[in-house]
Amino acid sequence: MPHTPVLKLDHVSKSFARVDTNDITHAVSDISLELEKGEFVCLVGTSGCGKSTLLRLIAGLIQPTMGQIMANGKPVEGPSPQRGMVFQQPTLFPWLTVEQNIAFSFRMAGTLKQNRAKVDRMLETIGLEPFRRDYPGQLSGGMAQRVALARTLICEPEILLLDEPLGALDAFTRMNMQDEIRSIWHSSGQLVIMVTHDVDEAVYMSTRVVIMEAHPGRIKAQIPIDLGEERHRSSPAFVEYRNRILGLLNY
Amino acid sequence: MSVSGSSAPSRPAAGSSETGTAGMTRYELLELEQENKTPARRALDAFLTICPLLACGVALLEYYLVPDKFANPNPERYTILLLIPAAIYAILLAVSAVRYRAGDKQRYWKMLHRAPLWTAIYLVLAVFDYATLKTGALLYPFIPWVNDILNGAISDLPNLALSTLYSLRLLTLGYFAGVAAGLLTGITAGYSSRIRYWITPIVKILGPIPPVIWIPLVMIILPSLFTGSVFIIALGSWFPVTIATLTGISSIDPAYFDAARLLGATERQLIFRVAIPHAMPNILQGMTQGMSTACITLLTAEMTGVKAGLGWYVTWFKNWASYNRMFAAIIVLCIIFNAVSKALDLIKKRALRWQNGGGS
Repeated sequence: MPHTPVLKLDHVSKSFARVDTNDITHAVSDISLELEKGEFVCLVGTSGCGKSTLLRLIAGLIQPTMGQIMANGKPVEGPSPQRGMVFQQPTLFPWLTVEQNIAFSFRMAGTLKQNRAKVDRMLETIGLEPFRRDYPGQLSGGMAQRVALARTLICEPEILLLDEPLGALDAFTRMNMQDEIRSIWHSSGQLVIMVTHDVDEAVYMSTRVVIMEAHPGRIKAQIPIDLGEERHRSSPAFVEYRNRILGLLNY
Repeated sequence: MSVSGSSAPSRPAAGSSETGTAGMTRYELLELEQENKTPARRALDAFLTICPLLACGVALLEYYLVPDKFANPNPERYTILLLIPAAIYAILLAVSAVRYRAGDKQRYWKMLHRAPLWTAIYLVLAVFDYATLKTGALLYPFIPWVNDILNGAISDLPNLALSTLYSLRLLTLGYFAGVAAGLLTGITAGYSSRIRYWITPIVKILGPIPPVIWIPLVMIILPSLFTGSVFIIALGSWFPVTIATLTGISSIDPAYFDAARLLGATERQLIFRVAIPHAMPNILQGMTQGMSTACITLLTAEMTGVKAGLGWYVTWFKNWASYNRMFAAIIVLCIIFNAVSKALDLIKKRALRWQNGGGS
């Protein structure tokens, strides 16, 4: 039996016709990747290199112009709770309470009744049980992002897509959330793909860093991070990885 | 200074006050801020709370002691009208006094807040009565005194009630037809750019025209005055609801749709679970605006063509120089429009809890 990776990108390109001129923007061009269960992959690169487009393609929010994306051997044809995504902005529905936001996918699927206990457990896990009846407008940035994460995780996605989820948070909240996301990934063993601007964050969190280049968006290099579980931001190996990636990004 | 001395059951046990303001309830904080009132100020406050009752007494004395200039049958009606609110106030005040003794001062503060307004209302009534019934100084006979209005309303109660029902029926039918149509066009146009392409010019051209302008035309074209009026009122509320709904729906950040799609929402759910709730503040604002247009249109229709309803009642009795009945109808209109806008406000508050940061 041939091995099927959790996610396979086969010569994927995406181009947009520009509105203002007659040009075409080649957001991503000829990207091939194979990603396995249990990997934590970070996409880094300058802005405009197509990181977010790539993530949206994988999510199924947009379709590739050429090439194919296979999740578990099946082509991706649209969004699915099996490929959950968290954005830089929490995009919580402001008219729903914390609890209702977390239960949103169950409500859509009409399975809320049998999943009440799951919602309760998730509220406990993310430590927002006391705020379950609050509205998103009352939450701090870190709390809101945690709810957004919970809302996605409760579907138990096989692939978790994170589009700069920590970009809008302050430094301390950010470091705490990095650890939280890592521990979630540890216990679930799913495939996580995270877009980030922050090279330190990429080295700290991932098992593989994919470095992208712009015009057209393409993969420049892939670096497996072999740092084990305990990671220290100032250890020599960590610094070496960081410098190597920054070098590849021309810094 | 300790705030833990009282025996209020609603308060947590002493101790919180000794550790600074942390752990203090909102109530305790408010009470603490009240503490620096001088005894003289407190006495003044207490006096203020009974002022409405005193003012009611002034109004009654004025009514009974100053001789009437005009015939005033059934004088007790106005007396009852004056006494009912005063009685309610007195009961509320007594309750607040009892609660104050028990340590709960919030009701008392509320009464303190109400007192000046209630006092002013009674004083204005006394002055009004003096300027009308007692002297006729205020544009007699066009402005009647309150008891005269009461007499007029009570003597013609069946007609007044029937007119009220007619008005309410017309308003309800027209308004809800307009809101329903407005929601339909607003939602579809907000959601689909192709529909928006065709709806926008219609709304842009017809929208700014006050709907009352169509009354003459509609009266000729449509089979009955009633259908015509419903149509006009519906048109008047359709426009603001459409505009507001369209704005609310087309201004949604697409990220919400992405997020909902990723969580498994279908196209239908995107409309009903994301687009509409998101546009709710706009929709309700459009409904409020639509209601005010509907009220204006209703009155104009009734005053110009329809032979029923409060608008008709007002013009009819104006023509008969029966000003007391005219004013009775105006007061009923006041009450209706206030009740309607209050109801809309309540709906808004309830539906938009999430906007004001109101938790559970």
